[in-house]
Amino acid sequence: MLSAAPTGPGLELDGATLARFMPMHLLTDAEGRALSFGPTLARVLHGAAVPGARFEDLFEVRAPGGAVSVAEVLERMPNRFRLVLRHGARVGLRGLGQPLPGAGRILLNLTFVDLITAAREYGLTDADFAATELATEVLFLAEANAAVTRELKGLTLRLEGARIAAEEEAMTDPLTGLRNRRAVDLVLDRLCAAQSKFGLMHMDLDYFKAVNDSLGHAAGDFVLENVGRILREQLRIEDCAARIGGDEFVLIVTGRSEPATLMAIANRIIARVGEPMLFDGREVRVSASIGIVRSVNCPTVEAAQLFTEADRALYAAKHAGRGRAVLAD
Amino acid sequence: MDALLLRSVQNYVLDTFGQARWHEICAAAGQPVQTFEPMLRYPSGLADRIADIAAEVLGRPVEAIWEDIGTYLVTNPDREGVRRLLRFGGVSFSDFLHSLEELPGRARLALPDLDPPEILLTEVGPDRYELRCRSPLKGMQRVLTGMLTAMADDYGALCLIEPGAEDCILITVLDSRYAEARAFELARPDP
Repeated sequence: MLSAAPTGPGLELDGATLARFMPMHLLTDAEGRALSFGPTLARVLHGAAVPGARFEDLFEVRAPGGAVSVAEVLERMPNRFRLVLRHGARVGLRGLGQPLPGAGRILLNLTFVDLITAAREYGLTDADFAATELATEVLFLAEANAAVTRELKGLTLRLEGARIAAEEEAMTDPLTGLRNRRAVDLVLDRLCAAQSKFGLMHMDLDYFKAVNDSLGHAAGDFVLENVGRILREQLRIEDCAARIGGDEFVLIVTGRSEPATLMAIANRIIARVGEPMLFDGREVRVSASIGIVRSVNCPTVEAAQLFTEADRALYAAKHAGRGRAVLAD
Repeated sequence: MDALLLRSVQNYVLDTFGQARWHEICAAAGQPVQTFEPMLRYPSGLADRIADIAAEVLGRPVEAIWEDIGTYLVTNPDREGVRRLLRFGGVSFSDFLHSLEELPGRARLALPDLDPPEILLTEVGPDRYELRCRSPLKGMQRVLTGMLTAMADDYGALCLIEPGAEDCILITVLDSRYAEARAFELARPDP
């Protein structure tokens, strides 16, 4: 029986009561030899929790610095000392202690500094804590907070995905899947600012209006989708193909400025677009005229000026009989 | 609370009935976006409206759907978090029942702007309880009923849980150790 009665009514506690109220206590004799362990502390200490075990063999004292024995600890920091287990995981403990009147016994009560790690390390359950301890609340909060953070991370990712999709959509021509005017302006501004070498092509379909008028808009859309596919096939991923109006397209070929290369690309596209297409069993024919301008042609590389030059070349191509490419010089 | 329940309806329908049914429900509700974000705000009453439409599309009473959602939230292995948070309530099922009054406060610690239902537990006799749940959400009482049923299983308790008048749930614990309780360790198994 423990009795402690410095003031007030005398109080007697048996071992079971002590274990229930303080599952992490250690009772030692005056020399620091263990007399009894709280059940949770015994679990944490594993096999080391035997009667007679010495305090300094069980724990390394972190604060007060330099203290080794329980007497030294209590002399300097009786209300808040820190220990680390010598056996198994190096779990940190905080405690308070006091010599009991009478036989010179010492009572220490300990708690985990990092509750979350300790709970995981030892698989602690509610039964390992006194009902009055806030351990469960802390663990509940840690887990609830982790759940909220997880949700917020998920939300951020989903919003980012939606933002990218929206941006992509804002730059895409829905009918052909090619880029749109907005995207062309952005790409051109970027290339001009970087003073890059590139070729700009302005392409217009010939006889497209006739297809629309004679076979209807569905046939027209069919032709545009086909042309979109051809352009995607003929250009590289780093190039840009865009539909900027009814049957008007802009192609930006990056990193290329040799006239022969650009003419070859343009002629290949013209050849493919000129092949007959089958719509509802009926043959549809269009052709393409292309005006080409090279960034190296312009003294100051400026989007508006490049467009004007490409336009002029396109009109020259149309004027020269359609179905051909003209390079501005 | 609407956001959390909307997300729960969404997950429940997607997991149980598939994407086509969920699209159907959203279309019938005139919802352009089919994903509800648990951390955003939605107009109050939207959760009840979506559940009513889900009831029509799925051909089941809305009460049964809410109750299923409550059970689903606790038992679905992918959403183990809800069961774990509830299990922090106590060592036994009756401990857990008593902890329900503290639950709204605890929930607010994690989500300060959450508007959780008000919960009042009255012990009306030995092993008999009356749980009152006040919430602007019509479905809340049934969600709680489903959750309680699933948690009773989790604790291994044999209970009779039935919705009573208005916002009341009647709970009779027939055998608190009817079956082995599912294991519960305070720390999450995987960090």
